[in-house]
Amino acid sequence: MPTSVTFDQATRIYPGMTTPAVSALDLEVRPGEFLVLVGPSGSGKSTALRMLAGLEDVNQGRILIGDKDVTHLRPKDRDIAMVFQNYALYPHMSVAENMGFALKIAGSPKADIEARVLEAAKILDLVDYLDRKPKALSGGQRQRVAMGRAIVRQPQVFLMDEPLSNLDAKLRVSTRTQIASLQRRLDTTTVYVTHDQVEAMTMGDRVAVLKDGLLQQVDTPLGLYDNPTNAFVAGFIGSPAMNLGTFTVADGHALIGGAKVPLPRSTVGAITGDQVQVGFRPEALELSSETDPGSFPVEALVIEELGSDAFLYGNLIGDDLRADHIVARIAPRSVPAKGAKVWFTIAPGRIHAFDVETGDALPTD
Amino acid sequence: MRKSFDKHWYAWAMVLPTVVVLSVLVFAPLVQGVYQSFTDVNESNQRSEICKKTLGGDEVCTPNPKASKFVGLDNYVDVLTGEQGHFWLQFTNTIVWTVACVTFHYGLGLGLAVMLNRRFRGRSFYRVALIVPWAVPAFVAAFAWRWIFDQQFGIFNGVLKAVGMDPVAWFDHRWSALFTAICANIWLGVPFMMVAILGGLQSISADLYEAAEMDGASPWQRFRNITLPGLRPVSSTVILLGTIWTFNMFPIIYFVTRGQPAGQTEILVTGAYRAGFEGIRDYSLAATYGVLILSILIVYASVYKRMLSKQGEVF
Amino acid sequence: MSSMPPATATETPAAVTPPRVRGREDRSLLASVALHGTLIVATFIALFPVLWVMLSSIKPASEIRRTEISLFASPTLENYRKVLFDTNFPQWFLNSVIVAAFTMVIGIAMSASAGYALSRFNFPGKRGLMWVFLLTQMFPVAILIVPIYTIMANLGLIDTKASLVIAYCTVAVPFCAWMLRGYFDTIPRELDEAAALDGLGPFGTFYRVILPLARPGLAVTAFYTFLTAWGEVAYAIAFMQTDDHYTLGAGLQQFVPQFSPRWDLLTAGAVLITIPAAIVFFFAQKHLVAGLTAGGTKG
Repeated sequence: MPTSVTFDQATRIYPGMTTPAVSALDLEVRPGEFLVLVGPSGSGKSTALRMLAGLEDVNQGRILIGDKDVTHLRPKDRDIAMVFQNYALYPHMSVAENMGFALKIAGSPKADIEARVLEAAKILDLVDYLDRKPKALSGGQRQRVAMGRAIVRQPQVFLMDEPLSNLDAKLRVSTRTQIASLQRRLDTTTVYVTHDQVEAMTMGDRVAVLKDGLLQQVDTPLGLYDNPTNAFVAGFIGSPAMNLGTFTVADGHALIGGAKVPLPRSTVGAITGDQVQVGFRPEALELSSETDPGSFPVEALVIEELGSDAFLYGNLIGDDLRADHIVARIAPRSVPAKGAKVWFTIAPGRIHAFDVETGDALPTD
Repeated sequence: MRKSFDKHWYAWAMVLPTVVVLSVLVFAPLVQGVYQSFTDVNESNQRSEICKKTLGGDEVCTPNPKASKFVGLDNYVDVLTGEQGHFWLQFTNTIVWTVACVTFHYGLGLGLAVMLNRRFRGRSFYRVALIVPWAVPAFVAAFAWRWIFDQQFGIFNGVLKAVGMDPVAWFDHRWSALFTAICANIWLGVPFMMVAILGGLQSISADLYEAAEMDGASPWQRFRNITLPGLRPVSSTVILLGTIWTFNMFPIIYFVTRGQPAGQTEILVTGAYRAGFEGIRDYSLAATYGVLILSILIVYASVYKRMLSKQGEVF
Repeated sequence: MSSMPPATATETPAAVTPPRVRGREDRSLLASVALHGTLIVATFIALFPVLWVMLSSIKPASEIRRTEISLFASPTLENYRKVLFDTNFPQWFLNSVIVAAFTMVIGIAMSASAGYALSRFNFPGKRGLMWVFLLTQMFPVAILIVPIYTIMANLGLIDTKASLVIAYCTVAVPFCAWMLRGYFDTIPRELDEAAALDGLGPFGTFYRVILPLARPGLAVTAFYTFLTAWGEVAYAIAFMQTDDHYTLGAGLQQFVPQFSPRWDLLTAGAVLITIPAAIVFFFAQKHLVAGLTAGGTKG
């Protein structure tokens, strides 16, 4: 039976620091769930994972695995396994010894260890390499050994700290799906740390976004994408990133590049000053003509033609130049010329608005 | 407190043996040594009580009337004014000895390391051959060099004679005797420097040299602007350690020159040792020397450290 | 060195030979000669005293005491026979072996565990200890030797091997711990963490994961502690009082008193003393650069 993991107001303050690396984190990982912690560097995502692993002290709050309070337990007593960023394979042991080491420490019978190592090796396609030392393996194979070491233990929770960041781009994509499917198969609760939002979106059942030690939002990938709670999450999730800019508001319209873009009524009601932060995703932009209401001009600087898609990177033309760069997804194979002046409107219902001061999302219904 | 113990007990347990041994055998003696330097203790008056066996087998102890006593700064005054021993002669010798040895250790070590850091045939042979002196125990090396410079049978004079020159009585003059000891010590100390610097060289990224080459730097400019700055952390440590070790280097002077002629090539450490363990053992004199040596080294190390930190180098 | 430039594909036999271009890796002949010349001279100086003593040790005493230079002169093992059978040398040698072996084992154990604690844990007193280690390097033998002598005398350890082992550990351990700390710093901390997750405590991690990986550092430590003990003189002369208890450092000087030195015995003895040191050295030398780079050099 898979277990849950609960962070209850868990806080970590490094000695000599005034601001916490992780601040009063409240987070519940459901049994069997694949939860991704994502954030820029310094956001506290790795610290949170290491607190769960028992490698960092918890200064305040609690951490529970299932119903068991593990806050002050030693790592080995938590029934967890971890995959490290640089794999942390013991260089002086063979692949099989690496994978079976935890069981050996725990005093499992030798035959039992061998059987479990072999089973994990089969799953990960490592049977031919069991006698090798880590040095004699490729990057991808080492990564799989690190996975194997975690699997062999059959822990309650898998912890993974950027396990793909040392792989090349192509291998990263294929390993990504392998890990995700392996996790589904084993049905083991998994907490996965990454700075790469694409990884987060593709792998996680749910994604938790952290910034400066504070949890910003936890939701399904699509939930984050469609309903970011603040400008940070909006800008962090999605590739290319959401267009975000601060514009002046005048009688229910945002003045974007000289154009008057209508704002939803609920948004207008929530705006406090005379400015608003407006966001729209690249695919929310539609090519239009100068005469269409709410359309604004953009000077195309770079066109990225990807075959299946095309992206236009340009400058907003007009007097209110707060958002210099605009990214728009356009239809491929018939793209405007570089330097051309093109007009865009924002698709109805696809506009996001955020408070200028706090960055919190404003209602847009 | 209790929590702190729970958290750190294994760290403390790991350093405990070292700490115990050091405090018993370094710090207790240090304190005692400093104390002795303010007394007139020597071999004959070290006991505070005189004990006699009585006929019944018991021991009866009476205070020693000639027991050592506290003399304040007398020892320091005596030593520094030359009343006792030859402090300033030995001090000059020590400075000459240390500066000469460390300069050559570092200079030769750096030169050889730079050469060995290149790729060429026979490199590993040279590397092993050049570290051989390190494997020779210092006192053995001292005897070997003593013999090489031996006035009658030494090969050095043999060569001089063979080319028609007069043999030199190396140990009859202060500076020629010191020269032999310095030669011996340079021979002994270069390998350590070479290996340490070679390690430092290998930790400098090759990219830097390529970037400098693209910028048009000549080999000399690359050496000046990449190699030397890159070696700073290594150099600062080994020069400090080398200076301290050379300053306190005992066996070379003790066995090569034996202070000849007439104690003129004694350095502070050997002078102190002879005061404490030869003739009538004058423990207070040896201790006074020891405190002075330690003070000189501490002043040197702190000045050195301040100089480094001014240049933005912290170790 | 002078590797040939890569052979150009010559399909037409009549092709003109390409002009010989100096590749990046090539060195001019002059530079090569200078490099090897310098190194050969340096190697000669490094090896000469050792070779000269070895050559002399197989000359008869009468040859040694001659003023003309000769490389070989009626080689004989007579000097060795005299040293081994007519003097107390074998006893000194045995004493030195015991002292050096104990110093090495105890020194490694102490400095490795202290170095590991300094490298991995942040414990109260750490900074102070690091300072003390650096400071002990400065203590001259002169200031410590009399008080240590007194302490040893009070413990009844004067004239015993134990006194020397303990004294040598105080000399060697601070430097070795400092150096090993640097070496341990190069071993990724993630290995410790992985070990903690695999169920090892701090001591288990140290013994089963870190020590096996620290072989280069330990080799340098072994070499250093062994050589410290094997070659130390001042304590040996001060502490050891009976001829039977002398170590080599204290004993060897008896061959060469101020007047009528026995250079024949000395050379043979010197060679015999250097052999064990050389053996330890050649086991360690492969690791010397790696071990010292990581260690002695970074504060």
